[in-house]
Amino acid sequence: MSHQSLSSLLPLPVVFPLAGAALAPLAVRLSRHALTIVSVLAPLASAAVLVAAAPTVYRGRVLTEYLGNWKPVNGQVLGVTFGVDAWGLTFALVTASIGAILLMFMLSSHAQLGRRELGASACLFLLLDAAVIGGALTADLFNIFVWFEVAALASYALTAFFLERPPALEAAFKLLVLTNVASFLIFIATALLYSEHGALNLGQLHNALVAHTGTADLIALGLLIAGFATKAGLVPFHGWLPDAHTAAPGPVSALFSGLMVNFGIATIGRLVFTVYPRTGTHVLGLLMVLGLVSALGGAIFALLQDDLKRLLAYDTISQMGVLAVGLATASRTGLAGTTYHLVNHALFKSLMFLCAGAIVHATGATNLSDLHGLARRMPWLVGAFTVGAAAIAGIPPLNGYVSLGLIHDALHQSGQPVPYVLMLLAQIVTVAALGKVVLAFLRPQRNPYARDERLRSGMLAALLLLAGSCLTIGIFPEWVLDNLVAPASMALPDASGYAHAVLSGGGRVAAGSVPYRYVNLRELILLPITLALAGPLIWVARRYRDSDVVTRIRSVQTGSVNDYAGYLVIGLLVTVASTALTPLLR
Amino acid sequence: MIVVNYLAAVALFCLGLYTVLTRRNLLKIVMGMSLMEASTYLFLLSLAYRKGSTAPVLVSPPDGQSPARLANGNVADPVLQNFCLTAIVIGVAVTGVFLAVVVRIAQHYRTLDADRVRDMRG
Repeated sequence: MSHQSLSSLLPLPVVFPLAGAALAPLAVRLSRHALTIVSVLAPLASAAVLVAAAPTVYRGRVLTEYLGNWKPVNGQVLGVTFGVDAWGLTFALVTASIGAILLMFMLSSHAQLGRRELGASACLFLLLDAAVIGGALTADLFNIFVWFEVAALASYALTAFFLERPPALEAAFKLLVLTNVASFLIFIATALLYSEHGALNLGQLHNALVAHTGTADLIALGLLIAGFATKAGLVPFHGWLPDAHTAAPGPVSALFSGLMVNFGIATIGRLVFTVYPRTGTHVLGLLMVLGLVSALGGAIFALLQDDLKRLLAYDTISQMGVLAVGLATASRTGLAGTTYHLVNHALFKSLMFLCAGAIVHATGATNLSDLHGLARRMPWLVGAFTVGAAAIAGIPPLNGYVSLGLIHDALHQSGQPVPYVLMLLAQIVTVAALGKVVLAFLRPQRNPYARDERLRSGMLAALLLLAGSCLTIGIFPEWVLDNLVAPASMALPDASGYAHAVLSGGGRVAAGSVPYRYVNLRELILLPITLALAGPLIWVARRYRDSDVVTRIRSVQTGSVNDYAGYLVIGLLVTVASTALTPLLR
Repeated sequence: MIVVNYLAAVALFCLGLYTVLTRRNLLKIVMGMSLMEASTYLFLLSLAYRKGSTAPVLVSPPDGQSPARLANGNVADPVLQNFCLTAIVIGVAVTGVFLAVVVRIAQHYRTLDADRVRDMRG
């Protein structure tokens, strides 16, 4: 297909899930099968369109579509533009394809729900999926804000939807307050940038910002980073994340953790590297600090949890921190590691949350102490969970080994010993937290489970697909790196190429390869050390479970919505101060 | 003076934020959020303001104005006003969800005190 006709297909990946969202409540009136077919086909169709565009885009092409045919005049665009480079495509493709798998799981595991409820939940699910895909494809700042809001509204409703656990309401309220404040920040920042430069198109904004980056632009950058960091769940903007994940059912948590939080971190990457010029902005240090605090803090809180889903939620915070650190290295290797890890995280965290959902479905238990002996009862389920845990731990041949290796390489090469050591520390704590879960499954069973149900075939298929993907993209890292990750990570920092392409109906961005050696001695030596250190850490965490120190650490997460909003405001002040005031001090 | 508008917007935003940070009543928190929202509208409309300009309507302009002059920028910025409209629509939806959640919380927990609606912590 020519570039022209491919470009004209670009709105379809968003249209399909949106149409599916409208059709799902109608289809369920026909039959439950019709609902399953409609809601799984919609994201699959959008994935198919994206796959059709993939060969062109991954060869370094940017596809541009001006919605409503509002073409640029003298380098200015008024309408909404979709500008798809390899970075956006990767992220959209992951969202569409994993979204289909998660929907299949949800419809299978919640088959006991009434028809109306099932249709409505599929509708919300597809809306959220469409919003995240839209956010990945668009090249317009205000459009990003709109997708942010669509995703936010869908996530509020999804969190409060399943009242199996009353805390769902509490979680929804916290999510509402924090995400809503974040949306105000993004809204104000968008307006500031528009009134400074008269531009919303990311390419046009980039050109204007290269010409002149004023204080108002830097304040806007701080606001934008704070807003999207709230979506990404970086510390200290993370208050909503553990609660929303604990209260929602497994597949919804998987959607939040695997796909929705990526929206935040991917957009931060887009803004920092593709929109703002690298000279004159000092955000890499800020991203590094936010990332390290999230990586370590999330891992420590995960280690101290007993609730399985809450533990995984804190691990999501930790992984988002790892991604932010990867972005902060700003090197070719680091960005490749970030891209790779973004995809990996979507896969293994979805897998683990689905496992958690399946465990709750089958046993009715959520606490680790009630889940002893699961390995004997459900070896396949525990096997799938262990695949996810091993992937996060970076054990070869799974995918986490490659992406973590790349990020560690980048930190090592950039000669920043402190972040490097802190990252390794976070990795040890993460391994301990997940190891704790696997060990709990292996212990002999003490009490009978509250429920004893079999897994349905749709659930098993989803688990197998995700675990298989983790293994596949870990086994063929060279192919994935050369064909998918390298183009995406090269496209992201090529701001002028992207700007030119978006403003002239398509173009090319930089292409190249990322140096990587699979047999990396440093990583292979560090791995057993990490595992060896994690063992005693698990013991310490168990031994001092109820000690004063642990209680004090955990009491930081007070559960009060006022406090969480306060943490957000502190984070906001820090981000705005560091983006807007640092240049003044120099 | 337009500066007054900016000051009012900042004051409203801070007032709303103060409410969200310090009030424990869930309804008051929702009201605080609404205040913050309103302040962003005021801020945007003030950004759109041009001295001596008219509404951005090109057909049948007011006396002493021609469509060409209006098109050359002697109007309040319509894009920012457009933002506001979009945000108001979104804001209504969000407030609706907000109040629905508060009602359900009141039914479930029999309280509106944020400090007693915190089963999940740590």
